[in-house]
This record gives sequence, C-alpha cells and structure tokens, in this order.
Amino acid sequence: MIKLNNVNKIYKTKSVETLALNNINLNINEGEFLSIMGPSGCGKSTLLNIMGLIDEPSQGEVSISGYRIDDYTGKSVAKFRNEHLGFIFQSFHLINDLSVIDNVELPLLYRKVSSKMRRQLAEEALIKVGLKNRMKHFPSQLSGGQKQRVAIARAIVGKPNIILADEPTGNLDSAMGNEVMDILLGLNQEEKTTIVMVTHDELMAKKTNRLIRLFDGSQVQ
Amino acid sequence: MTKHIFTLIWNKKKKNFLLLLEIFFAFLILFGVFTFVISNLRNYITPLGFDTENVWLARMEVPQDVDSADFAQMRQLLRTELEAIPEVEQVSYTINITPFSNSAWQNGTDENGFDLNARIIQNDEYYEETGGLNIIEGRWFIKDDVHSKYKPVVISKMLRDLGWRGKPVIDSLFIFNYDDGPDNQVKIVGVVDHYKYMGEFTEEYNMIFIYEPTTSTNLDCMYIRVKDNASPTLEEQINKTIAAITKRNDFIIQTLESQRKRKSRQTWIPIGILLGIGSFLIINVALGLFGVLWYNINKRRPEIGLRRTLGATKSDIARQFIGEILMVAFFGIILAAFFTMQFPMMKLFDIENINYYYAMLISAGVIILLVLLCSFYPSRQAALINPAIALHED
Ligand SMILES: Nc1ncnc2c1ncn2[C@@H]1O[C@H](COP(=O)(O)OP(=O)(O)OP(=O)(O)O)[C@@H](O)[C@H]1O
Ligand SMILES: [Mg+2]
Repeated sequence: MIKLNNVNKIYKTKSVETLALNNINLNINEGEFLSIMGPSGCGKSTLLNIMGLIDEPSQGEVSISGYRIDDYTGKSVAKFRNEHLGFIFQSFHLINDLSVIDNVELPLLYRKVSSKMRRQLAEEALIKVGLKNRMKHFPSQLSGGQKQRVAIARAIVGKPNIILADEPTGNLDSAMGNEVMDILLGLNQEEKTTIVMVTHDELMAKKTNRLIRLFDGSQVQ
Repeated sequence: MTKHIFTLIWNKKKKNFLLLLEIFFAFLILFGVFTFVISNLRNYITPLGFDTENVWLARMEVPQDVDSADFAQMRQLLRTELEAIPEVEQVSYTINITPFSNSAWQNGTDENGFDLNARIIQNDEYYEETGGLNIIEGRWFIKDDVHSKYKPVVISKMLRDLGWRGKPVIDSLFIFNYDDGPDNQVKIVGVVDHYKYMGEFTEEYNMIFIYEPTTSTNLDCMYIRVKDNASPTLEEQINKTIAAITKRNDFIIQTLESQRKRKSRQTWIPIGILLGIGSFLIINVALGLFGVLWYNINKRRPEIGLRRTLGATKSDIARQFIGEILMVAFFGIILAAFFTMQFPMMKLFDIENINYYYAMLISAGVIILLVLLCSFYPSRQAALINPAIALHED
C-alpha cells in the first residue's frame, strides 16, 4: 500500500544540514496499523509528512497504492491527498473561526461535492466519533479530546483508505487518549483503513499491528 | 466555495468590520468625487457653440440721455472705423449678457402647450459670423428683420427638441412675453446647435436669441473678431478708435479666450483637488488592504498548511484569500450603495441621475480593482507556503 525505497531527507539551513531521514525502506500493507516511535527530533514527523506527500524526499521513491509521486507541487498530488489520505495532528489544527461541522466538511470543499452532500457526510463522520451534538460548537468550546475527535471526523469524512496520525494522543490525558485510540482501532478493524501513527506512548503502540523505531533518522527496529 | 467564504467572513465579522467600514467610507467619498467630476466632464464634452479664439469683447456704458439719431450714427461709424483696421475682421453688437460673465436673463411661460424656460440674449445681424455660431436650420438675423411683423428669434437645438420635435420649426410663432408685438408672439427664423455661454462646465440651457438692430441702445457690448496672430499693438489701436469715436474712456476690452480659461479654471481646480484627495484615499485604502492581507496570511499560515494538506491546490488558496477580501469589499459597497442610491431617488441636488449611476459604477469598479490588485501578491505568497513547514509552526 505505502512503499518507501531508500528514502533520504536532508534539511538544509544556512548553517547546518540535518539528515532527518537516512535510507528508509518501508512497506506498509493494506489494512495495517503501524506505529512509529523514537526520541524527539529523530524524524518521525518528517517520515509521516513524506508518506503524506506534503514533503518531498531528498532522495528515494515513494509510492502509494501503486501511484508513484514525481511532482509534489502539481494539482494531481493535491487531489490524491484529498481522496486517499486523512491527517490527524498532535495540535489538532482545527480552524477556530469555523464551527465543528464546517471544520469537518473542509476536505470535501476541495472535491466536487454538493453542499447538501457535504453536510450529510460531515454529520455521519461526527456521529462516528460521537460528537453529533457538538456540530454547531466552535473549537474553543471543546475539550482537547473532543477537538481531536473532530479532527478524526475531518480525517475520515472523505473516506480515505489511509490515515496518517502524528502523535494524536500527545496532547491528551490518558482517558481522552484512550478514547481517541479506540476510535482509530475501530476504523482500522471495521473499515479496514490503513493507519500510520506516530506516538510516544508504548501502551498505545502495543495496541497496533506493527511498531517501528527511528533513531537519528534511521530505522532501528 | 462561495458559501464557505461567506461562513468564514461571517464568523469573523468583528475582525472584518473595520475593513468593511473602510470600504464603505472609501465608496462614499469616491462616489462624491466621481459624481462631481463626471457631471462636470459630461457637460464639458458638449460643444460651447461659439468661438473664443480671436474674438474680443468690448464693454461700453451707454448713456441714458443719448440722442438716438446721434447714437445710431456713432454706432455705424464705430463699426466702419473698427472694421477698417486691417487685423479686424468683423464687429457685432450685443447685450451685455456675454459669455463667461455669470449674468443671465431668463424668462418662462407655459402658454405654448409646453413648459418653456429659456435664457435670452439680444444680438444684431452680424453675431453669427463674429461669434462663430453654428446654424443648423433656417438662418441668422438679417437687416430686413427690422421690418418684421413679429420679433425674429433664433433658438437653440435643445429648445427646438423640447417644443418642436417632429414639427416644422422655421417661421413658427410662439408666445413669449418679451415684446409688445401682436399677441406677444415671436417668430423663429433659425436654430443653432449649442450655446453654453455660462461656461464649458455648465449644463446646456434653452436659448433664445432676439434680434436687435445695430443701432439699438440695448446693445452695449461689442464682439470684435480679429485675424489669427494679431499683433500686440492691435488692442491699443482698437482702444484708441473706440475712445476717439465714443469720446469716452469707461470701456474695457477682454479676449473671450482668456475669459473661457478663467471660468474653466474655477472647475478644473476643484476637479484636480478632488481627484487628488481621491487618489490619496485610494493609496491609503490600498495600503490598509495590503496590510490586512499580509497580517491575515501570516497569522493563518497553519490554516493554509492544513488546507493544502487536505487537498487544496495553490490556486484554491489564492482564490480563497482574494475571495474573502472581495466579499467583504462587496458587502461594503452594497451597504454604501444603499446610501448613495438616496441621491438619485430623492433628487437632493440639481444633478442628472445618470451621473450618480456612473459615479456608483466607477466607484465600485475602482474599489474592486484595488482589492484585486492589493490581494494578488499576498495571495500568491499564501499559495506558495509549504504545508509541511506551516503545519510545524503551530
Ligand atoms: N523545516 C525544517 N527545516 C530544517 N530542519 C527541520 C525541519 N523540519 C524538521 N527539521 C529537523 O529534522 C529533524 C527531524 O524532525 P522531526 O520533526 O521529523 O522530528 P520528530 O521525530 O517528529 O520530533 P518530535 O517528537 O519532537 O515531534 C529535527 O532535527 C528537526 O530539527
Ligand atoms: Mg514530530
């Protein structure tokens, strides 16, 4: 499903060159729930961004569902992201000026979907994360766990086959973290969604199918 | 997308309010400026209807106790002597309601089946050529008009279109309480195209020229048509001739061209000032818009990163930012237009409605253009933001 071949990522700034990813080879199967662990700054987010096609590898190849990415700036990669990938972030990244339902509709804005259909799909997604009664709320009126559930609804509203989650429970206490984790597990089991999750939490990682560890940009496990 | 943009600016109405207010006032001020400029320029483009180049004007006092035979003789002599100067082409006598002088004589009646309101000028038979008028129907006055049963008049095209549209006009009689001729009637002998003697920026007005013979004591001004490139001594020469024949010194000589320029300056200057103020305002609004956009875009970098991640293309991002500010501008314009619409509806000023509509269209056009220009560059910058980096910043 997701294939990385000899992927390197180098960040160049004026003074330093950081080798954020060093020769990563990875093959993630359809329906798999993979977690990525490693110390801070080891390149986890970088790896996830590369899998999510929002960052370009310095070297190597990325292919997702047989689609090989050559051009990262064009319209087709935006369309691909929109249709195949769902994203969840540690800091939620909800738009504060939009209500919960409008936030959830966001990915559908960049597709040809009628506004009625958008509303309906967004409602269904919110029902799945148990937030139907918070539709008209604004992000500032929600708890962290609720915010992340909104973010999950937003990630699944477009029915992607892959979800990329960067420390989705990192900002949540363990009760709220477990809630979020249960939703992700449910998606993986019931909808067969492929999930890649970065986490610092061994307990969370244990619930997934496979764990890989990074250290200084290299895969160590 | 439009609905989404509306939701977004509605949810941020407090933040957008100032911008809306700025657009609102900009529109009102531009509307005022353009109404003034457009209504004046629309008057300006219609022809004056007479020449100002090479036409001089001499104003003379006519003594009340003058002997009419002597006066007539003196008048004839003055003509002959002035026209004898090689650089003088022609001389014509007129009433002292002269171009650009701000004086007017106005009369009205509704006894002809339409509301007739006209300005009156008395001239002799030479004025058509001396003044360079354009006769479009009929003729100018002739000497024999002295014997006419009805007072002969020449009217302007505007008046013809008002009272004689689709009807023969030459030799028609109409009632005009000017003369004690039969039934107060005067007779139309000709039509001129325009006569904007109040100035280039004034509206056209219905004109009636009434014939008076050269010898009439009513005519106390004189047009002197001179040849091209008159020598500097010509004025002196004319001066001496007039003084010698009238035996008076209380007259002044002006050129119509300088009068035209003096009068036009009275409008060009405020037009210039208003356009200056308008431009200054536009620059300020532009800077404001630019600032707001930069600020918004910088503050919303994570949002831009998020949208890109969720599948927005670069042009989606650019379109969104342009769309947001355009929509705010649109509402500001609509709100302001609601106020400016009161001017044509309530007819507060003596300005043709069409000028208000033009002013509204142009003001709206200027503002929208401004918004597009100011938002183009920042929106492009927004589109170029790298999503991976922008998301990281939050
Ligand atoms: N845009 C960038 N420019 C330069 N260096 C970067 C950039 N993004 C990341 N890096 C560097 O690349 C390395 C990997 O960063 P990355 O964000 O992938 O780490 P991480 O494993 O996600 O860390 P954390 O657990 O703290 O989120 C770090 O050394 C970081 O400083
Ligand atoms: Mg990270």
